Amino acid sequence: MSAVLTDRRARLQTSPLRHLDIVLVLTPILISGLGLLMIYSATHTGLEQAGGNPLNFVKRQAAAIFLGIVAMTIMTVIDYRRLRELALFGYGVTVILLVAVLGIGVQVKGAQARFDVGPIQIQPGELAKLFVILVLAGYCALHRGDLDFRRLVVALVIAGVPIGLIMLQPDLGTDLVLMFIVFTMLAVAGIRGRHLVILLLLLVTVAIAAVNLGVLKDYQIERLTSFATEGQDIARSGYNQEQSKITVASGGLTGQGLFEGTQTTGAYVPEQHTDFIFTVVGEELGFVGGATLLALFALIVWRTWRAARLANDLFGTLCCMGVLAMLVFQVFENVGMTMGIMPITGIPLPWMSYGGSSVIVSFACIGLVANIHMRRFT
Amino acid sequence: MIESRVRMSIVGVIVLALFGALFARLWYLQVAATGEYAAAAQSNSVRVVNEPPIRGRILDAKGRPLVENRIANVITMDRKLDPSKLKMVVNRLAELLTVSSADIRKKLDDPRVSPYTPVPVAVDVPFGALAYVSEHREDFPGVSAEPLAIRSYVNGSKAAHVLGYVGEINEQELTAQSPGDHYELGDTIGKSGVELTYESDLRGVPGKDTLEVDSIGRVVRTISSRKPKPGNDIRLTLDLDVQKLAEDSLTQGILAARATQDKSFKKGYQTLAAPAGSVVVLDATTGSVVAMASNPTYDPNTFANGIPTPLWTALNDPFGHYPLINRAIAGQYAPGSTFKLVTATAGLASGDITATKILNDRGSYSYPTDPGRLFTNDNRAVYGKVDLSKAITVSSDVYFYTIGGDLYYRQKHSIPGGDALQTTARQFGFGRVTGIGLPNEASGRIPDAAWKQKAHTDNPAAFPYADWLPGDNIQSAVGQGDVVVTPLQLANAYAAFANGGTLHEPRLADEVLNASGKKVRDLAPITIGQVPVPARDSMLTGFAGVAGAKGGTAYNVFAGFPPGTVAGKTGTAQVQDKQSTSLFVGMSPALNPKYIVLAIVEEGGYGAETSAPIVRRIMQGLNGLPLTDVQIFPPANGNGDT
Repeated sequence: MSAVLTDRRARLQTSPLRHLDIVLVLTPILISGLGLLMIYSATHTGLEQAGGNPLNFVKRQAAAIFLGIVAMTIMTVIDYRRLRELALFGYGVTVILLVAVLGIGVQVKGAQARFDVGPIQIQPGELAKLFVILVLAGYCALHRGDLDFRRLVVALVIAGVPIGLIMLQPDLGTDLVLMFIVFTMLAVAGIRGRHLVILLLLLVTVAIAAVNLGVLKDYQIERLTSFATEGQDIARSGYNQEQSKITVASGGLTGQGLFEGTQTTGAYVPEQHTDFIFTVVGEELGFVGGATLLALFALIVWRTWRAARLANDLFGTLCCMGVLAMLVFQVFENVGMTMGIMPITGIPLPWMSYGGSSVIVSFACIGLVANIHMRRFT
Repeated sequence: MIESRVRMSIVGVIVLALFGALFARLWYLQVAATGEYAAAAQSNSVRVVNEPPIRGRILDAKGRPLVENRIANVITMDRKLDPSKLKMVVNRLAELLTVSSADIRKKLDDPRVSPYTPVPVAVDVPFGALAYVSEHREDFPGVSAEPLAIRSYVNGSKAAHVLGYVGEINEQELTAQSPGDHYELGDTIGKSGVELTYESDLRGVPGKDTLEVDSIGRVVRTISSRKPKPGNDIRLTLDLDVQKLAEDSLTQGILAARATQDKSFKKGYQTLAAPAGSVVVLDATTGSVVAMASNPTYDPNTFANGIPTPLWTALNDPFGHYPLINRAIAGQYAPGSTFKLVTATAGLASGDITATKILNDRGSYSYPTDPGRLFTNDNRAVYGKVDLSKAITVSSDVYFYTIGGDLYYRQKHSIPGGDALQTTARQFGFGRVTGIGLPNEASGRIPDAAWKQKAHTDNPAAFPYADWLPGDNIQSAVGQGDVVVTPLQLANAYAAFANGGTLHEPRLADEVLNASGKKVRDLAPITIGQVPVPARDSMLTGFAGVAGAKGGTAYNVFAGFPPGTVAGKTGTAQVQDKQSTSLFVGMSPALNPKYIVLAIVEEGGYGAETSAPIVRRIMQGLNGLPLTDVQIFPPANGNGDT
């Protein structure tokens, strides 16, 4: 009897997979599946018109999702306390890549943010999110959250190196995400109240600057061919948001039906398969679909927050909070901008937006959270 | 750690608030305020494009096309071209087509062309230019050569007034359309003639594509599509051969008249002015229009693509004598002696005369109460004892003045038949439109006491007397005074007389055929009245004598015609301050007329001088006689008709 119990207890201890948060790992897969449908809807008409394969974007995204699930699995099975050591190496590689991308990266829409390796494009900025979380959590946990001014500066330097390099690309969207991550982690880690206020003021200042710059960037990015039929001169920066809002709103309660969105097939919204993917959901699946998607994100955020609370150590808690900050900021900013309550910045919607680096890193982050969550007893 | 937990909870609350904001905003956009955005999305993406139908053809009586559609090579431009490229392409096209860039720009900015169809910037482009464009595609982005159906008037100016022309619908026509018509800006519509009268048959049903377009106006997909239905063909009663003959003869007559000295006019004209004229050929048995000509004329092909402003100005210049007017239906003339048909019939109907009653024509007539005022024959000719048929043959004014005077006397003394002249004129269809179904038909005028009273009230300076005076009735009796008729009315009246009294609505079209040639409907002759024609044979003898008996007013003109070919009546209507209007109404065969051929030449002199020779040539053609050129017959000195 006791032997059986002991055996069970032993298994409990040795096989953390038994504590895996299934909801946490399945929800992103669900979201990414929906993302595939939405990407198809947003891109097939244009691809057909150009004579290309209408599944072109979908296939590439599916490959990224597969790689993402692999990454999530790896990030889950390797004990996160080992990852803490490996992270320093990853952080170094990321910084090197961030430097390299400035020299040999590909200039896309005014930013030099990615490498083209054959058919694969890599954005080291996305990688930076994961490693800043890991390294910063590691540094804070090293000092058990006791961060005086000197340590705070060190922490800020750790985060500031990649942020500064990304600023040079420039990719303000990714930087904003990073800053939000850093602020949240430092806040939870336990920096002094006055430091928190100073940081907050700093963050607001940068955010305001970024908002203004963000509008400028939008102006650069969306080289809209002027509307042949509409005589009135739509201010270009306003055009995106207006069309984006119209598109979301035209879905109504239940949407126009999958692949039936006239705004979507009409390509009224620029960058619809990447940054504005939520408009497809809004138009074709309506409030029901949009709310469900938001609920799925909220579910992941809740499970992440729960993992942070349940974590066995400060390192785990901070990692989870970093991932949480990343997800919340990206979802709020991205969805908010499509609905006209946030300024337009180039931030992808996790698992939904077309783009391999973002998908893989997002999955990897969930893997990290699942890892921390299932090893909460060990 | 405790501090950490508190801060985590704060983060949790903030996260909740953020998600709450997203849900609220989503609800607001999609459920609460969805209406305003839905409208914006709809106008964003759905466009309706009309595809014009192929317009029906207009055929002559024998089925030969008079109007069809020609495929023209058109160079079109995409107006959604990048502005910098647009400028370059416009300049290159202008150079290639040897037009100004401003011209092309103007066409590009034409708001009537749908933004989803390329704009035609040049029509009937020479092949060389077409080839150049297709060989240098990279130099001409957005430019393409396309076939476009253009209205083609096969015989140029022939029958132009009858056929009419088409043009782009204007604002007035747009607002005037019936609800089911669905005309839109840029649509083609019949503007005059048969093109206008039979617009609903010819037009067809436009196709309609409902398209979904993207943000830069490219078509994403077709939501619904309806193919256009071609218009129906109209087969006219017009015979192209007779029409050509009529027009050529009219032109010859007018040109010959202009080269003829006018001896009778006192105002110092050297030659007959003959600025304009018209010809009507009717089938007397059905009232069908076999030919209808008006001179000066125009070539509707020059309008096929919109009327250039300078041309429009020229067409409306008084010195050009308004070629757009169809004088056969819109010209109003004093009928002169041709009106004696009416006076004779009225005299017979009222019992004032009989066919055999003899009157001694001493050269003048005066009304009993006003012996001092003499109404004379032309040049005071004296015809002696005349009966009805001789009075017609020699055109004795005195004979008809007498009828006019007698009827006036009856009117004054309330003896029945006093209004016979006016009544008979109206029975013959004068004083109102014939209803031929061509636009802008004039109604002419048969004056009577009531009319004169009103004319006096309206304009006392021009009409100093309010009463209907003897002279009014006497002048009316010879087609002068205030009587005015249209050429078509006059021809139609003679047709009614010739067929024994049936007045038809003159008819232009025989049947409507669909695009595959099957009959859609018949346009049968329409009878609009009966005119009693007592003593028709005596009168016909008189009319036959005009052309066939020595002493007939047109005897010289028709010399050499086989006997019994032509009957007719000359008319010479005096017009204040102008040369006389020359009229001739011919009937053939003389005693059993099938055709009525009428010619009127403004300021053409005597009826026998210009118009009878025009009719002569047409009669040659209708009777299979060899054609001879129109030759003017100036009146012998001291002799003429009225």
